[in-house]
Amino acid sequence: MHANENRKFGMWLFLSSELLIFAGLIGAFVLTRRSAFQNGVEWWEPNAFSLTLVSINTFILLASSLMVVLGIEAIRVNQQLKLQRYLILTAILGGLFLAGQAIEYSLLIFEEGHSFADPFGTAFFTLTGIHGLHVFVGVIWCLMTLLVARRGTFSSYNYTTVEIFGLYWHFVDLIWVIIFTVVYLTN
Amino acid sequence: MANPPAPNGESGAHHKHTNPVLVFGILTLATIFEVVVTLFHLPQNVIVPILLAIAFVKAGLVAAYYMHLRYEKWIYTVIFITPALFAVFLIFTLAM
Repeated sequence: MHANENRKFGMWLFLSSELLIFAGLIGAFVLTRRSAFQNGVEWWEPNAFSLTLVSINTFILLASSLMVVLGIEAIRVNQQLKLQRYLILTAILGGLFLAGQAIEYSLLIFEEGHSFADPFGTAFFTLTGIHGLHVFVGVIWCLMTLLVARRGTFSSYNYTTVEIFGLYWHFVDLIWVIIFTVVYLTN
Repeated sequence: MANPPAPNGESGAHHKHTNPVLVFGILTLATIFEVVVTLFHLPQNVIVPILLAIAFVKAGLVAAYYMHLRYEKWIYTVIFITPALFAVFLIFTLAM
């Protein structure tokens, strides 16, 4: 019982430190953008396609969070198969998000010519890239949780591992909600 | 009569959680609203605070209902809210 509480406590501490990292990255993005505007440096504005793509990606990530919540609700009442299905859906949605991000990156790099060399590219790729890395880690973690779930390890009396994965995944979703507004909508 | 021990070693009674589909619906509608608002090309000093406020409310919903912060021990809220307040202050200050 205490071990479970300690694991959750540790996870919340980890997430609070992650929150500060992302606050710094978002702050750096906003400062770089402001500096670019003040100095007349070219900045990027999302076109209709980019905005549609990233809106769909946002919907995908929100839906993936819902899948995790439903998975935890299922294992709370000992529905192990349901948990496995929701974890599979979460991993698929996470993969789709990463695919959407890959499309966006390829458009920005190969069609619009952005790179790490320009101020926009530096700020944008650093912020969204580190977030994408978190999603990638989340997908791997989800698949590992699924493997453990398939062994029948989890039950209504033992699902803290799923809860801790869920905390991480929701955190990644929470950060994206802010990034989506700051990077794409407040240009 | 004492309650039976909660499954999974939970410290408190098992709360009836808010319908997650409802929360998802609110998050989706808020996102659509955000995107639609940007299409009106309102002045930056009007639109930025509105969009940031909506984003932070959405983030709060995720933390409260998806991360179950509303039903968890107060210490988790303190751990998470303290840097969150700093982050909100930082982003608002820089973005305005």
